[in-house]
Amino acid sequence: MKFGLFYELQLPKPAGQPQWNPEDEHKIYHDMLDQVELADSLGFDYVFEVEHHFLEEYSHSSAPEMLMAALSQRTKNIRLGHGIVLMPPGYNHPARVAERISALDLLSDGRVEFGTGESASTMEMGGFEVEREQKKAMWEECTREAANMMVQTPYQGFQGQFFSMPPRNVIPKPQQDPHPPLWVAASRRETTMLAARFGMGSLGFGFETPEELAERTNEYYRIIREECYPIGHAINPGLAVLTTFMMGQTDQEALERSANGPAFFSHSLGYYYNPITGGKHQPGEKNIYDSFLESNKKQNTLSAKTGFVKEEDIRKDEPEEEVQRALYRAARTGTAVGTVDRVREMLLTYEENNLDVMIFVAQCGDRKHEHIMESIELFGKEILPEFKERHETNHKAWREEQLASVDFPINSSI
Amino acid sequence: MARPDQVQDDQLRDLFVEAQGSMRTGQANEAVKSVVRALYRLLELKPELTTEELEPRPGWKMPFLTRWPQLGANFVEGSLAKHEPKIEFVKEKFALSEAITYYEFTLETAIKRGA
Repeated sequence: MKFGLFYELQLPKPAGQPQWNPEDEHKIYHDMLDQVELADSLGFDYVFEVEHHFLEEYSHSSAPEMLMAALSQRTKNIRLGHGIVLMPPGYNHPARVAERISALDLLSDGRVEFGTGESASTMEMGGFEVEREQKKAMWEECTREAANMMVQTPYQGFQGQFFSMPPRNVIPKPQQDPHPPLWVAASRRETTMLAARFGMGSLGFGFETPEELAERTNEYYRIIREECYPIGHAINPGLAVLTTFMMGQTDQEALERSANGPAFFSHSLGYYYNPITGGKHQPGEKNIYDSFLESNKKQNTLSAKTGFVKEEDIRKDEPEEEVQRALYRAARTGTAVGTVDRVREMLLTYEENNLDVMIFVAQCGDRKHEHIMESIELFGKEILPEFKERHETNHKAWREEQLASVDFPINSSI
Repeated sequence: MARPDQVQDDQLRDLFVEAQGSMRTGQANEAVKSVVRALYRLLELKPELTTEELEPRPGWKMPFLTRWPQLGANFVEGSLAKHEPKIEFVKEKFALSEAITYYEFTLETAIKRGA
């Protein structure tokens, strides 16, 4: 199993204040650079950063390509993942995506992971006039063509349903051949299976249990072998999932440092993605952190006060609907929260079920930069080396078995 | 694991196989039509699905069938509330990713219900 960090660049407003302090955004951007630089030096494999627009407090990461460019010059080995680029052409013209991905691939000496997605929040779709019913079709058309643009010399041109362009040589071309590994954001099971059919890595946002993961992994790799029709020119078989991350010398210290991170992550995500309330956000006015503090008083979320919520208690009350369930679990599961011993034990259950990549949500809610740095250091020194060793020996052999009958070219960093 | 050969009902299984074949040859429109027919067949076999509810949050219930992807083969407004689900095609052209999404959702629902 490999490991990565995941960034929304969350920035809750200070409690009781109508706006942030003037230096707050500057600080989280530079904190993030420091955190990833440290993670790189310790051997973390990936950083994935989102693209979101207008989702105040939940995500201030609207120009991930800029941060990735900065990281390309401050890091040496860590792979730079878009998690994800919004592909409907209202957000990003596919030629501009291909150009930026290729330029970043050159700048980083071939370290780009090309994550793609379609977006889901009314705030974003409304802001860029992206039609909800067409966004998946837009994603498909634009992802396929962006991959073609990185490969064809010249790009042969395209008359599509959502964008058209004449033949042009889209330059530069990426360093990785034929193009960087392709991923798609998957918040539902059916999207993970779509990823398999298109030969893409699945960036899962479901906060799955190890048992669910085992079922999904088996089915995902079966589809890769038997029913894959690649969207790109090489496939990237891989399952990645998110979990919350914070370490300490004691479990209590880790929980205290975890603060309201996971619960705020879940609350603010639910706020913007709720189909009823999500579009009613008053830009520049609401303090979501205040409303979170109020509503969280009644919840049994992961916190120093409640301690770890037992898995059986989480399952007893969890919602049936998949996305709501992910939000619920995000606020309660503490898979990678705790001491070295606890976190190692929890992660072993995912390794046993053949997860390819575990991605940590460290920066979220009101967590502190210094605690994130200490957690990265503790994990990198005390836990990461043994997982790396087993990845090279056991997991790579398992993957070779899974993919032995696959004829498509494979470009995967796993 | 969700494969058509896990579906019990012959007619339903054939519809999934038909959809799978269309997807393999890139015929997304045909695949979506087959999956919609599969959904209707599933509702014949498991009519309780028309009244089944999810509770995404405590106190907030919604029909299970609202999970059906709204990608252009949508439920006619009000048909779920009347427990008489009816699909209308609000666009002519479907993408393969949309067909796959409909297929995966419907196949998994059918297998989970033992149809």
